[in-house]
Amino acid sequence: MNTTRRDFLRLAATAGILSQVDPFTSRMFAAPQSPTGSALVVIFLRGAADGMNMIVPMGDPGYEALRPTIATTIAEGVVPLDKTFGLHPAMKALKPVFDAGKFAPIVCAGSPHRTRSHFDAQDWMEFAAPGDRSMRNGWINRYLEVTKPKKDNVSEFRALGMQELLPRSLRGSYPVLAVPTSLGRRKTSKTLDRFERFYGDSGDMMEGGESMSGQREEDRAGVVQSGRITIETLRRFGEIIALAEKKKKKNIRNNQTVSGSSYPKSKFANRLKQIALVLRANEGLEVAGIDYGGWDDHTQEGGVEGRMADRMTDFSRSLAAFCQDLGPQLDTTSILVMSEFGRTCRENGNSGTDHGHGSNMLLFGGGVKGGKVHGDWRGLGETDLYQGRDLAVTTDFRDVMNEVLENTLGFDVPKEFFPQYKPLAVRGLF
Amino acid sequence: MEPRHLLVSACLTLLAAPILVAQEEGPAPLTEQQRAAHVLSRLAYGPRPGEIDRVLDMGVDNWLKNQFGFKQPEDPRLEDRLSEFQTLSMDIAECVTFTSTPRKEKSSIAEQRLARRKNRIPMEELMESIAFRAVFSERQTTEVMTEFWRNHFNVSFTKGQSIYAQMPDYERVVVQQNVWGSFPDMLTASATHPAMLNYLDNRLSRKPPSKQQLAELERRTKRSTGSKERAEEAVQIASQRGLNENYGRELLELHTLGVDNFYKQKDVIAVAECLTGWTIDARREGSRQYVFNPEMHVDGNKHVLGKLIREDRDGGPGQGMALLEMLGKHKGTADFIAMKMVRFLVADNPPEKLVAKVAKTYRKTDGDMVAMLETIIESEEFWDPANVRNKFKTPYEFIISALRITGCEIGSLGELERYLVAMGQPIYNCDDPTGYYDTSDAWLDPGVMALRWEFAVDLANGKVDAVAIPDSFYDQVPIDLPPRLWQHHLTQLILPGGAGARTRAALATVTSEYLEKRKVPDLYELGPELVGLLLGSPEFQQQ
Repeated sequence: MNTTRRDFLRLAATAGILSQVDPFTSRMFAAPQSPTGSALVVIFLRGAADGMNMIVPMGDPGYEALRPTIATTIAEGVVPLDKTFGLHPAMKALKPVFDAGKFAPIVCAGSPHRTRSHFDAQDWMEFAAPGDRSMRNGWINRYLEVTKPKKDNVSEFRALGMQELLPRSLRGSYPVLAVPTSLGRRKTSKTLDRFERFYGDSGDMMEGGESMSGQREEDRAGVVQSGRITIETLRRFGEIIALAEKKKKKNIRNNQTVSGSSYPKSKFANRLKQIALVLRANEGLEVAGIDYGGWDDHTQEGGVEGRMADRMTDFSRSLAAFCQDLGPQLDTTSILVMSEFGRTCRENGNSGTDHGHGSNMLLFGGGVKGGKVHGDWRGLGETDLYQGRDLAVTTDFRDVMNEVLENTLGFDVPKEFFPQYKPLAVRGLF
Repeated sequence: MEPRHLLVSACLTLLAAPILVAQEEGPAPLTEQQRAAHVLSRLAYGPRPGEIDRVLDMGVDNWLKNQFGFKQPEDPRLEDRLSEFQTLSMDIAECVTFTSTPRKEKSSIAEQRLARRKNRIPMEELMESIAFRAVFSERQTTEVMTEFWRNHFNVSFTKGQSIYAQMPDYERVVVQQNVWGSFPDMLTASATHPAMLNYLDNRLSRKPPSKQQLAELERRTKRSTGSKERAEEAVQIASQRGLNENYGRELLELHTLGVDNFYKQKDVIAVAECLTGWTIDARREGSRQYVFNPEMHVDGNKHVLGKLIREDRDGGPGQGMALLEMLGKHKGTADFIAMKMVRFLVADNPPEKLVAKVAKTYRKTDGDMVAMLETIIESEEFWDPANVRNKFKTPYEFIISALRITGCEIGSLGELERYLVAMGQPIYNCDDPTGYYDTSDAWLDPGVMALRWEFAVDLANGKVDAVAIPDSFYDQVPIDLPPRLWQHHLTQLILPGGAGARTRAALATVTSEYLEKRKVPDLYELGPELVGLLLGSPEFQQQ
């Protein structure tokens, strides 16, 4: 199953990328390609977040009976969005964004595949190829690869994974930087200088002097390649953040308005803050990805308060602050939130929920048709549910990705970009 | 044949000049020296200083023989050190008693802090002892395979405090004691261990309580609390209890058959039902061990994978046991375990022929761990030069092998653990039930290399707390040689499998720059600089 990098190297070798056209030479950080800075931020809630506990179907007559210990009600603080749906009290920070028309939840979205395995479902959602075990390139990576600028004068700073290891959607043949959280800036910059000779672009790929067969050569080339991208992109990332922070300080000194957004103190919020800095720097960043883990609430999910509520509070406050921080830049930015599948509509024997099917997706941005709950809701009656237990999927997650790619990134999605995909619904999200 | 041999060995010994060799006939078989380096890299966490020579002296095959099982005598210094840990040999009840602080109405902040600190002792000791074993144990293959099974049957401290006191026992009883036993035994040991029952929630999975049981609960709660409302609330909560699919699913997906092999959702439910009542004796004076509670068990025969699993007529856990036996004998399990072992020990893309061979051994020997490993090392694929130094080290493998190859002395895990956290692989802390992956595509993202380099440089320069490369490491370099040649010796010490042209050229540049700067060169100054770079080199990232 683990062939990504090999496939890349093979592909790269046949395409002559490694041997002839080296994309990582000094020209790589020339002027950004799209100064307008349309960007997509993808957030993956790992562990199958209980969508029904985020966008709560408080108006559905079946809801409370299915969830005797974990349901939340208006009386307990659910914030109504329309007659049927409301935000969980812990998500109330997002209500102003909804009211401003910049938040569009899509209910009953998910994968047509029946799997309830976290790991398959995550792979397939992030590869946007349900059931296809041969696909090893993430959907965003494919976008980056297909739209790769051919000539000079392009930004290679197009995508960032804001964590130690890339989300799968960013993995694949197009090299993307994972930004480690724990680097000290000055020390890191020294370290990068030190290792440049060992991973720099001038060395030979053959590693002469050692008898290497083809496969090992590819394996080693993968390590060198990874190191080289680490040096070049991380160095640039550090510069951008430093510059942006300096600018911000200057603005504050000059009493110029900076967004008055206040992020909570959390890892997630910090990463969003960094994305905002990079986006404002206009370096041609097109896509950033972040994971938010820990949503597998088999037990003690909690109601108004509790484990999931705590997570939702951090999540929603961070996002609300991010939207505010982006200011006018939010108009050209979309934020897409997804999770591998939903959870059982009925709570299980331990005040939690088990693996289900349909969930929801959350879309934010100036360009989206927000202030409205999208998606077809069939209700919670036994026969309305998928296999009698889970939310049915009435919007294929690729329907949403498709609209986001076309509208936010202006990408004319080619046929077979999503293999075997037949649109389930046009949602008119933009 | 002959000329090629000469060329290859010339390449290996001449480190100074880059030589390009056209390889037309494919690589030569490994030399004895390369075989020694390979087993120390793949079936150990890399060599310690002088270890390749020691393996060569005893013969690679003899070394291997001693490594499969517990034949190799353990280093008494390691044993002394491990004996200082308080909780490692405790069973769960002892560990619970050891870590708990009697509740008081009001405790001071200092007392609370002490209580929290006590709670964490089993976690800290277990993590530290595992790192110590990995670095210092003479039974290296045991350590490597223990880590493999730890991840296969993953349990994690991230579950929260409830699991802390269960973990040392899990490591000992489930993993260490079965690492040279049979797979079905390890499977049963994991299924009946409180840490697993807790981690994947099976301890809570049960049939919904009967009316009678609810009435009994109401009566008892009313009597003990004197409150009607409290009693009603208890009944309300209890009446919601029921099946939890978490363990049932991962048992099939991750522990035995592999994802979506042979089973469907209805099998997941049937498996979960077979295992209802497999829980922990958590009563006040209870054993804290696995116990079968017939009151929680969903009665009746079940069908799993089209096979009838009969109810235990004596009201015991027989149904779950029969299920585990079936899974342990299943062809799908043999295939899945074989694939994972070959992927771990041979190549990220496991050669299919070898997987089939190992699966056959599994079926023939009922999953005997030694026999499966023997099939692997007796294969052509294991010794194929294409499969030497082809696997990207996980962060854990990278750190442990760096500590070993430099002959590090370690006072405590402390800061090493922080590096592991930063690189995403702290010991026994994998939140996902998959365990940590061992393939390159899970770890080789651009960006993480920076953390490895920082660690390499910090380690070489003595900047990692409580860890030091001893002077004796540098004493291996013949100091009376011209300083220009020191780098060759250090390269041989850190990269016994050889260094590529780029790395050698880079080291030569660093050396020249240093020699220009310093009139009187000092090995103990230039050495650490070079060692940091060698540990961060592309070659050292592969095992």
